[in-house]
Amino acid sequence: MSDVGYVATGWAVTAVVIAGYYARLVVRTRRATKSRGSR
Amino acid sequence: MRLLHPRVATVLGWLTLVSLVALALFGLWGAPPDEVQGDAQRLMYLHVPTAWLAYLAFFITALASALYLWPRTRAQTWDRMAGASAELGVLFTGLTLFVGSLWGRAVWGVWWAWDARLVTTAVLFFLYLGYLALRHTAADPVSGARRNAVAALIVFIDVPIVHFSVEWWRTLHQQATVFNPELSAEIGGVMAWTLWLGVLAFTLLYVYLLDRRYQLATLEDELDADGLDAAIVARIAEADGTPAPGRSEPPGGPMTTPVSAP
Repeated sequence: MSDVGYVATGWAVTAVVIAGYYARLVVRTRRATKSRGSR
Repeated sequence: MRLLHPRVATVLGWLTLVSLVALALFGLWGAPPDEVQGDAQRLMYLHVPTAWLAYLAFFITALASALYLWPRTRAQTWDRMAGASAELGVLFTGLTLFVGSLWGRAVWGVWWAWDARLVTTAVLFFLYLGYLALRHTAADPVSGARRNAVAALIVFIDVPIVHFSVEWWRTLHQQATVFNPELSAEIGGVMAWTLWLGVLAFTLLYVYLLDRRYQLATLEDELDADGLDAAIVARIAEADGTPAPGRSEPPGGPMTTPVSAP
């Protein structure tokens, strides 16, 4: 792999991991809010 | 319950997004390639900020844990904040190791080396994974929170070891570029500004994510408490022989001892 390949992989994976973590937080928060509201 | 006012959190979220996009533009195109490492050095604009964030997150975990242990400041808030910050620290330590591995492969020719900085960082990652696992094992919230706080203070010992490992031992990993003992940054111009932009963008990201994670932790604690209350009411009702509020009787009337067929 070239230097550009390593750089692209590093930036892309970091972006995907952070976005995925944030999306998971949002989904879990919505689910918890809904469960709390239904009780 | 959140750490930040919702409006402040919204503004912070947009600021974080803008600063991360600016970091990507400068890190990938604006800053010049390194004279020695070429384009591979562009991984530094991720590697250093994620490592900084891991330090910051674990420091906040240790601070919140100390505040929980101190009788005058003891509150569930500190335990929640410690857990939320540790989770972010583990996430960013993992990213630091991943990006560092790619950078190592590009400039050293290997994905991994048994180097003091790399090994102590991997140990840090696993120590805090253990801490997060420990947080899920408590039966009693109060004694569990106290135990978590003590564990957080013990595992924090590895953070200065990671930072000073490049000074204490001969390592393949380069010495600190910015936070070195002389505090003289060995980087300048657009490259330095891009690095500082990365530190700023990731710090904003940390504060934003900490607020969201703390909110989730609060909701989950409330749900657990509601579930516990409901279970206690159900057990009391069961002992009294009356149906618990909100619980319907099974079809065919209340549960009775089965009668055997003649």
